[in-house]
Amino acid sequence: MSATLPSLQRARPASGRGQADWDALARAGSRRRAIGQGLLMAFLVTVSVPILLPYFWMFTISVSARTGGVESAVLWRSIGILVPAVLALGFLNLLTEPGIRRLYAAAGIVVVAGTTLAWAIGPDLHLQNWAFLRDPNFVENLSGRGAGTVEAQFPSVWTAFGNSLMLAGVQTFLVLSVATLAGYYLSRFDFQGRASFLQALLVLHAFPAMTLIIPIFLLMHWTGLLDTITGVILVIATLELPFAVFIMKGFFDAVPWDIEMQALVDGASRRRAFLEVVFPQVKVGLLAVGVFSFIRGWEEYVFVRTLLFDKQNWTMSLYIFWVSDDIMGVDYGVVAAVGVFYVAPSILLYVFCQKYLVQMSLGGIKG
Amino acid sequence: MATTDPSSAAARRQLANMALFLGPATVLLFMFFIAPVVVDVFVAFTDMGRSLEVTEFTTANFERMLTNDSRIGPTMAVTFTYVLLTLGIFNVTFGLLLALATTAVPERSGAFFRAIWLLPRMSPSVVYALLWAWMIGPTDRGLINQVAVGWLGLEPIDVLSNQPMLLIVLANGFIGASMGMIIFTSAIRAIPEHLFHAARVDGAGPLAVTWHITLPALRWPLSFITVYQTLSLLVSFEYIWLITNGGPFYDTMVFALYVYKRAFENGQYAYGAALSLILVAIGIAASLFMWRLLDMQRLLQTPRIEVQ
Amino acid sequence: MARIELQQVAKSWREVVAVEPTDLVIEDGEFVAILGPSGCGKSTMLFMLAGIYAPTAGEIRFDGHVVNAVEARDRNVGIVFQSYALYPHMTVARNIGFPLKFKGVKADEAARRVIEVAQLVHVEELLDRLPAEMSGGQQQRVALARALVKEPQLLLLDEPLSNLDATLRLTMRAEIRRLQRRLGVTTILVTHDQIEATTMADRVVCMSKGRIEQIGTADALYRRPDKLFVASFIGAPPINLLDGRAADGRLRVGELTLGASGISGEVVLGIRPEHLGLTAPGRGLAGRILTVEPLGRETLYEVATPLGSLRVLEAGSERRWQEGDAAGGTVADEALLIFDKSSERRLESASLALAEAA
Repeated sequence: MSATLPSLQRARPASGRGQADWDALARAGSRRRAIGQGLLMAFLVTVSVPILLPYFWMFTISVSARTGGVESAVLWRSIGILVPAVLALGFLNLLTEPGIRRLYAAAGIVVVAGTTLAWAIGPDLHLQNWAFLRDPNFVENLSGRGAGTVEAQFPSVWTAFGNSLMLAGVQTFLVLSVATLAGYYLSRFDFQGRASFLQALLVLHAFPAMTLIIPIFLLMHWTGLLDTITGVILVIATLELPFAVFIMKGFFDAVPWDIEMQALVDGASRRRAFLEVVFPQVKVGLLAVGVFSFIRGWEEYVFVRTLLFDKQNWTMSLYIFWVSDDIMGVDYGVVAAVGVFYVAPSILLYVFCQKYLVQMSLGGIKG
Repeated sequence: MATTDPSSAAARRQLANMALFLGPATVLLFMFFIAPVVVDVFVAFTDMGRSLEVTEFTTANFERMLTNDSRIGPTMAVTFTYVLLTLGIFNVTFGLLLALATTAVPERSGAFFRAIWLLPRMSPSVVYALLWAWMIGPTDRGLINQVAVGWLGLEPIDVLSNQPMLLIVLANGFIGASMGMIIFTSAIRAIPEHLFHAARVDGAGPLAVTWHITLPALRWPLSFITVYQTLSLLVSFEYIWLITNGGPFYDTMVFALYVYKRAFENGQYAYGAALSLILVAIGIAASLFMWRLLDMQRLLQTPRIEVQ
Repeated sequence: MARIELQQVAKSWREVVAVEPTDLVIEDGEFVAILGPSGCGKSTMLFMLAGIYAPTAGEIRFDGHVVNAVEARDRNVGIVFQSYALYPHMTVARNIGFPLKFKGVKADEAARRVIEVAQLVHVEELLDRLPAEMSGGQQQRVALARALVKEPQLLLLDEPLSNLDATLRLTMRAEIRRLQRRLGVTTILVTHDQIEATTMADRVVCMSKGRIEQIGTADALYRRPDKLFVASFIGAPPINLLDGRAADGRLRVGELTLGASGISGEVVLGIRPEHLGLTAPGRGLAGRILTVEPLGRETLYEVATPLGSLRVLEAGSERRWQEGDAAGGTVADEALLIFDKSSERRLESASLALAEAA
């Protein structure tokens, strides 16, 4: 052990800093923090605005545009009113204490913003773009277009909506049931070839299924499932399976062995143990996979575009595609309205189940 | 009671269980995932055209691929440029920036911004493409031009005609950045808080903390994202199809889109199948590679510092 | 070296109060232990001193200067975390040298100081290792070295010994104490282990639920605990606590009535197991042995007496008593502690006579 440690000996004066030094450090610290957070927020706001703006614009167009025009005055006017209002509320939140006075102030801001908004854009709002919800012949009824310019009639939007619902719903149900069964078995049972099965699943999971669209098309044709929603359901569900099986297996892995063994000791067969004891534990996994699956099915485009033709089989994605293809140049408003109608369920689901989706998008398929 | 041998009864039950639990998955995967690969190889050696009939077996498709298709080279080039740019600028870099930024601000704000950036990914592709179309409209109706012309006094910009590559990189990049953002964020959250405390007490400022503590912990997610997204981008064409349709002319025709059009627009199914084999081969190679990578990660997963 | 003052310092998260307004002075060069069960706020206190958390009220002073708003990196404080928090991808040498980077110390000077500090804690052989390649004890010493290399004016230790095995704990206790005496740096140790606190520190601060219950030397806390909590937290095996009621100069505990002056109302009587003894039956309290626990050099008995069920600690490993035996219990008078039941404060002016009255 060394006897002398010059730099660490006791006989040193105290730090020798005066209060001024400490105060200067304190100020520097506060300044650093404020600048840092300020820059970060500025960055985040700047990059997020281009994302939010178009969605908001689509919404405003859907309730204000008229045939032949692209309405953006409503957008800018509402932004001009909403942004200061939101900023005001933000500062209120930051700089004041919670309490009755703050509530009144916030209510005041909301009322002022609301009335200004109503005055500024109220007269421009209308619901004519939403006619497609009632009237399947809305395309012909657009001013300036006669029946002759329309190639063929569009199906009712509700047909497409129903098809999408069926596609997404049945496909989700299929994925959930098959993946739960397989995930459970792979998690809790041992069998010869288990390791290989898991590895094969892993490879499939990483493999990009989109490359197989041509042979899938041919398979559908040969099995007579072309132009059927059933066919699409089977294809999409299958392609999601590797991902779903892994997620469910992960959830099953997290359930302790003890309660299952307890059930077996109590006299249940493995199947009953599964149903009554293990299954309830993985409800969260089911929700996560289910929501993700549903959204995927709701949005599917490439496969439905390739495998579905008859107008009565159209899903919402096809419906909006062909509608916009037909009347885009003429009537932004209607297209926007259809867009809002189509996107709303996705956004609602997303908002309500957000934390699950964030966990699950780790295995997303889109690029 | 039964006089059957208990072990064979158990074996039968195991078989029954296997059939019940694994059966559906296996059947579906075989029919719609594995069978297509076989079909693809099969059709690649035929002459299937619009009629969807096979009349002969031939290697003509491969000959054409190797010697007689002038489009393959350019589309490959476009693909590589697109993949490199999107991956490098957005999926990896911007994803990382977003993860770092949203974890450095208070949690509620961070989550809010992450939610916004997930919006493109959660929207239907058709709607997302429509939004882009409205943004880039070449007249002063397009949102970008409204800002450019109305506020900044510039000439109207026509991104679709003049900078189509930029357009597809941006459009796909916004989607891709969100995945990186999510994965990097959870990796950052997994770093034990005491490491950050220790670094702060040791004297590190926020940039030093990011460099010394955060980034080293992201080595694995970074390589995972890079490999996974490279593969994803190589074979994806949905957004490109919807936004630029490969144009103008062939400027943004990535290989995957080219293959699709050959089959479904030109009706050359056999040729398309043969071309697809390239993509399938890349897919298999990359999947196997990632499988090795993932296995290694399982080994590296266990933290070895005694963290409470 | 610094004199640390906390003046009405408090910390709460939204509605949860972690630390109530607290006053505390720690002299320059002192070694103070903050002792308490988990969740009592002791680590929060430590982190406020380090600058990791900001107090929601009150002032923290180093040498008389207010430092509330000063960032952690500017406070010149060294801290050792319970988990050691060693940077996993850096070697020992780089871990230790990390703080010197931000002090603008030149590379060769830094290397020299790293070696010097490494020798101080005996890790000079491990400089090229990664944290994952070392044992817990070695990691802890590296963490200590990292805290000391910047010549801090304040050293903070957050449960540094709780992850070590028993023999290592013994060695490290002595080493840390020796180091502190040698370097003279003001040190604050946070722990839930009373042995650590009493053997290492000059003074002990006993905390519970965000509040300081008592400050004093280990001896003072043991002999004259001000609060019921302190009496029960310090001392192993734990003190015997019996409910009683006092009135008119008499105290009734269990089935016994004692003479008592100066107290009234509901009280708690405390007797430490080591202050009780067993003798032949018929003398002292009438008792019956319930359980016998050999503890090595001592034996712990649970004895049923008219006062209630009592733990008695007898020296010696030979078990002179068996379960079911009758025995007599003896108590030293001055070993009795009386606490007011509602305020949980010790009643000083009480005096008891164990002689039965009526």
